[in-house]
Amino acid sequence: MDKFTFRVPTDRLYHPDGLWVLAENGAGSLVRVGLTDYLQQRSGDAAFVTVRPAGTHLARGDDLAELETLKVSLALPAPVSGTVVEADAALAASPELVNQAPYGDGWLARLEPSQWAVERAALLTPEAYFEHMRREAAIEVGQT
Amino acid sequence: MSRSGSGRKVVVVPCSGIGKPYGTVSREAAYELCEELRPRTTALVALSRLVMGDAGAGRTVAGHPAIAIDGCKLTCAAKMVRVRGGTVAREVAVLDVYRCHRELKPEGIAELNDAGLALARVIAEEIVPTVDALAPPGGAEPAEGDEPPAGDGPLGGDEEDGDHGR
Repeated sequence: MDKFTFRVPTDRLYHPDGLWVLAENGAGSLVRVGLTDYLQQRSGDAAFVTVRPAGTHLARGDDLAELETLKVSLALPAPVSGTVVEADAALAASPELVNQAPYGDGWLARLEPSQWAVERAALLTPEAYFEHMRREAAIEVGQT
Repeated sequence: MSRSGSGRKVVVVPCSGIGKPYGTVSREAAYELCEELRPRTTALVALSRLVMGDAGAGRTVAGHPAIAIDGCKLTCAAKMVRVRGGTVAREVAVLDVYRCHRELKPEGIAELNDAGLALARVIAEEIVPTVDALAPPGGAEPAEGDEPPAGDGPLGGDEEDGDHGR
């Protein structure tokens, strides 16, 4: 897209607000959540990332995390309903991980979904997210 | 560097991220350092001069230890010092300092908010020990290569000493 490259791994599902959801087992009893390469590049260098603590019950769309960057402060929604099992402890000391490895060490949280079978259908496939992202990026760079 | 020959000076090169709060913080920190805290042992070089290939600015950074203050992780200031043959004695990232002072969130561009100005002050104060180590306030003997070539101004050949290249 223009001079930028945004990676979209094909092994996970996506929320249109720029979050990914990776089922850690086939049944979806545990999922890992993070932000996409597109969102992290668009948002800029992270200054602080605050994730809701383990044990927090969230409905889909509730604030899962807050991201403060050089450019913006964003509330990141829970892409599915569930309970936070683990927040990425490394982000407190190294928030830059969300920029350096958004699909790796820069993950945000692991959740135990409460309605995975239903809510996964509302998530986007990698192909659908890629198109969604491309539309957003085109708007961003004024190519529409 | 200094026409009065008062001793070694340290070059300070801030980010030129015009239109971005963190870039503005980097410049305000540089002004604070060079104009208020250590005016006798520092000299400000505008990053734009290095980018444009200004020969005098290039000679200045090549001949003196430099401190780069960058507004973002692109670290343009540090990179340009090196591109022009200089030695970066210390790299300072505004973001890293802000992470230690979350209460000082910089906002505003043309005019920083009070928190942003306070952050700039913190950054400048954190750099002072480095400046003092490189150029003791008491006035060390000028190091070899410490003075610019004859006829060269301090920041590119067209200012008198003390103009910091704003």
